[in-house]
Formats: sequence, C-alpha cells, structure tokens
Amino acid sequence: MRRITRRRGILLGVVAAVVSAVVVLLSTGLGKDPSVVASPLVGRVAPDFTLSQLNGPPMTLSKLRGQVVVVNFWASWCTECHTEQAALDQTWQQFQDSGVVVVGVNFEDTTGDASDYVRTAGVAYPVVEDTDSRTALAYGLRGIPETFIVDKTGRIVDRIIGPVDATKLSSEINEVLLAGAR
Amino acid sequence: MNAAAAKARLRTKLPVLMVLLAVLVGAITLAVVAVRGHQAQPSQAQQVQQIAAGLHCPICKDLSVADSPAPLAQQMRAEIAQKLRAGESAGEIRASFVAAYGDSVLMSPPRRGLSGAAYFLPAIVILVGVLGAAVLIRRWVRSPETGPADDVEAAPLSATQRRAVHRALARLREEEPA
Repeated sequence: MRRITRRRGILLGVVAAVVSAVVVLLSTGLGKDPSVVASPLVGRVAPDFTLSQLNGPPMTLSKLRGQVVVVNFWASWCTECHTEQAALDQTWQQFQDSGVVVVGVNFEDTTGDASDYVRTAGVAYPVVEDTDSRTALAYGLRGIPETFIVDKTGRIVDRIIGPVDATKLSSEINEVLLAGAR
Repeated sequence: MNAAAAKARLRTKLPVLMVLLAVLVGAITLAVVAVRGHQAQPSQAQQVQQIAAGLHCPICKDLSVADSPAPLAQQMRAEIAQKLRAGESAGEIRASFVAAYGDSVLMSPPRRGLSGAAYFLPAIVILVGVLGAAVLIRRWVRSPETGPADDVEAAPLSATQRRAVHRALARLREEEPA
C-alpha cells in the first residue's frame, strides 16, 4: 500500500513538472510578438558602409563618428516608408544643427525610382543606395522600413521596426544626445 | 517439458529481440547514409546550396535562403559564394549571418542553451517509450503463465480452518449423487 502511494507521488510529481514547464513556456512565449526578433546588433558597433549618394559624394558611416546617426532603410515602392517620411523630415529639420544626421539607405530599388521619389516627396536628408543589399545584410534587415539609431561612439542603441513616430524618435534622439553629453 | 519451457522463453523474449533488431537496422542505415554523405567533395555551387538550405530567408515566411526567390535571399547566396571563394568555412559563414540576424536565421536551432533540448529531448522520449514498451510487452507475455497468484506461496491453515475444510468436503461428498 505504501509502495503504491510513493509510486503515485512520483507520477504526480512528473506530471506536475511537465505541466508547469509547458505553462511557463506558454506564458513567456505568448506575450511576445513572434515577428519582432531582437537584433543582436543593438549595443554593438554599427557595421560600417561606404555607399554612393543619390545627389552627392559617397558617404561613409564611420566618418560621421561623433554625431548621432539615424540610419533608415527604405524603398520608393514601400508604402509604409511613405508614411514615415514626414517624421524623418521633421527629425532632420529639428536636429540637423544638434549633431544628428539622418541617412536614408535605399534598398532593393532602382536609382530612377528612388530619385523620383526623393524629388517629389521633398526628402531633404542624404540618401544613399545599397545596390547589392550588402549593407542590409550586415544590419540584419528583415523588411522595410527599419531604422537604426547610432550614438556618437558608433554603437547601435536601438532598432525600430516599421514606420517611425516623430515624437518617439525625437525623444529617443534627445536621450542619446544627453547620454553622449554626460 | 524442456522443449515447452524453451518455447515459452523464446516467446517471452521475441518482442524484445524484434525491437533490438529494428534499432540495429536503423543505426546501420543511418551510419551508412552518414558515411556516404561525406565521401564525395561537393562543388562550390553544392556548398552554397547546403549552407543556404540551413539559413532562413529573413524576409520570407518559412522559406530557406536556398528556396527563396527574394532578391535579399539571392544576395545572401551571392555572399555565401563570395565568402567560400575567400576561404571561409561553412561554420564561419553561418556565424557571420548569426552575428547580424541572431540565432533565428538558422533553420535548425543551435545545439547550445535551451534550444539544445530540441536535440536530446526526442532521443530521451524515444528511449523512455522503447523501455516502457519493452516492460509492458514483457509483462503481457508473462502474465498468462506466471500470474501473481502463482508467485504467492500458500499460507499454512490453522486447525480450525483445516476442520472447516474437512467439514465442507464431507458435506460435498454427501450431496454428491451416488
């Protein structure tokens, strides 16, 4: 009789452990958006690039060291990129004299389409072309628009998936500028 | 009698032997496939295909870099080819993509950390299942011959019990038709 009770206890313990493990896995996993994958690049030095500008000389990221850089991947065919255009322009206007550079990295696009969009939409910040998508791969791009904030030391401090919000972006840039000033 | 006992013993062991035989055949097949797979040196295109097949296309749903027609996947394949030409190993190439995308770029989970459970848990489950099945089969085969009642030794009867048995037998004999 005692042996059966002990056996049942072990069995119940095993069942309880399995159920608890499943509950813990579900409760931690279900709260996350599976499409949002944390970038291993956040906290690391941003991959350097030298890319040709649509209207200007080639641009090298490492030469912008000492400034906060907003690297935004976009394309003329991407409707969500059009949505965030105003926010990026506003950020550029607001911070260009405070040591902040916005760089648009054109992804999987043609020079003609990109130039047409830049002209008609009145994009004022520098736009470079990632013709072979190598920069996109180095940044672990999973879609567009995607934006990386690089601090004055050249480290990526945040990755924003989807269209940026002007208010959130400016408050984040202010934080990065403050952190850099300390 | 001896022949019957041997037959019964064989009948008991037969399921276990069959399970062992199946495991042995499976292991030999896997070993042959594993050895043959490494015999021929794959071409660079095959190497690109192999590495690309192990990477998730980052902008697709459930497609490997090898299977995806997306321009980014094409670029990844071109990058793999270039890295191979530069003398990088498959592991180094995979590591470079993991550095940018994280472990989620791999089609198979890494063998370290919590993801490692995906490799050893199935083996444990199969082992426990095989052992459980073996125990059940053994019990099932043995039960008609040696049930629990056979294992229990008859307890000696007390004098009162013996007298009661005698009385019951005598009554039965009296009631029996002549």
